[in-house]
Amino acid sequence: MLEVNHIDTYYGELKALWDVSLTLDKGEIVALIGANGSGKSTLLEAIAGLLPPTTGEILFEGVRLDKEPSHRIVEFGVCLVPEDRGIFPGMNVSENLELGAFSKRGRKEKEETLHVVYGLFPILKNRRNQLTRTLSGGEQQMLAIGKGLLSRPKLLMLDEPSLGLAPLVTKNIFEAICQINQTGVSILLVEQNVHIALRVAKRAYIIENGRIVQHEQAKNLLRDRRVIQAYLGTHYA
Amino acid sequence: MVQFLAQTFVNGINVGALYGLAAVGLSLIFGVMRILNVAHGEFLMVGGYIGFWLFKLYGVDPFVGLPLVGIFLFLIGIVFYKVVFSRVAKFHEEVKLKNSLLIAFGLYLIFPQIAMVLWTADERAISPAYSGQAFDLLGVRFGYVPLAGVCIAIIVILAMYLFLTKTYFGKSLRGTAESWKAAKLSGIHIEWTFMITFGLGISLAGIAGVLIALTQELTPFMGMPWTLKALIVVVLAGMGSIVGAFVAGLILGIVEAVSAIFMGPYTIAIGLLIFLIILVLRPQGLFGRA
Repeated sequence: MLEVNHIDTYYGELKALWDVSLTLDKGEIVALIGANGSGKSTLLEAIAGLLPPTTGEILFEGVRLDKEPSHRIVEFGVCLVPEDRGIFPGMNVSENLELGAFSKRGRKEKEETLHVVYGLFPILKNRRNQLTRTLSGGEQQMLAIGKGLLSRPKLLMLDEPSLGLAPLVTKNIFEAICQINQTGVSILLVEQNVHIALRVAKRAYIIENGRIVQHEQAKNLLRDRRVIQAYLGTHYA
Repeated sequence: MVQFLAQTFVNGINVGALYGLAAVGLSLIFGVMRILNVAHGEFLMVGGYIGFWLFKLYGVDPFVGLPLVGIFLFLIGIVFYKVVFSRVAKFHEEVKLKNSLLIAFGLYLIFPQIAMVLWTADERAISPAYSGQAFDLLGVRFGYVPLAGVCIAIIVILAMYLFLTKTYFGKSLRGTAESWKAAKLSGIHIEWTFMITFGLGISLAGIAGVLIALTQELTPFMGMPWTLKALIVVVLAGMGSIVGAFVAGLILGIVEAVSAIFMGPYTIAIGLLIFLIILVLRPQGLFGRA
């Protein structure tokens, strides 16, 4: 469904991604693992059209995304929930969700999707008239994912959904992510919490210094000595 | 003495409403686009002169001409966005702010010269037959034209407020003002939002220009003083608060009118003094958030 073929990306003069390729099939959860500054977020931003690649191509269901502006990419059914959550702090919860459905694609089915999102995260319904900046970190992350769902994505890209959250909240978020996946939404996941990421994902890519260095079934990576030492800590060995 | 003070207050409100109206457009453009349009007053001047032309050449009543000027200035705003400002709008925040300042200062240098050619350096005003009429209430004089100006300013600002809080497109403007990145990822077409925002802001400046032409005079060099007034009001109110900008405009108008009793020609310093005090003590503005 998603095919990233040999892309290079620059921040001005600085090269951030080197010949990166990745594939994702319909219905899959794929994890992207790497240290800080390794290029995980850059790759997601490249797919979402925020930082178009200079070489290579990005195909989504046969359509070239790398030449499209970001608002068009949303219309194709590709949605990024960025690391800073991509929500509007000075607006209330229901306004945020409404703007999540701004695309034509999302607006058509706004009411139904809103129902689904409130079912998934009931707390958002209680807080719907509250300003977003007054929500807790976990609630903000739920809102970010909910807002992403309102664009009716076929592919949902999540950048560090567990960032700064308590373990229990992280667990809830990941249960929701699995539920979303079961409704047929494919998920590309960037996550520092490698252990949890490899449990929910089917496959994973490891990225180092802007290059994909390993690609493996998630369950194999959980047993890989090198991965364990680099990303999971030795006590898992 | 009470009557005199009341009259001063009313005069202050008459002027302050126009300050507010001029500031709302500047605030909208800065809030959504992060472009400080120091040529805002120039567009205000153009709006005033277009209203003057409609009245003088075609006998159009200024209050009928007002929506026409609004629409025309909206289109001018879109042309100026497309031709000049869209080129810097895509840059990063700091680069964008600096470059747009240079462009707007350039426009500030060009506009008065063109206005000199088109309308000469003579002071102009829109003075329909009813312009001097007024009624008395408890010994305080209310001019019909300034009162209509205040009412129109309130209506326009309320309409802006409702547009921004109740309509889908208005909400997307506020979203863009909060975070252009989040807006983009929500499927909002930023370029388009910027263009409409700029058109709206310029349109508000034009409407203010006509109302100013009705109560004060038009000169080719009025642009920068009005930009400064609008800027003081925006700083006083805090960025992004539409109703706040209007209230701050009223405050500045009243403070200036009252201080004129004691300070005469030095009132202009009062506005700048308020500007400095607010920047030091409450940089987020009276109605803004830190």
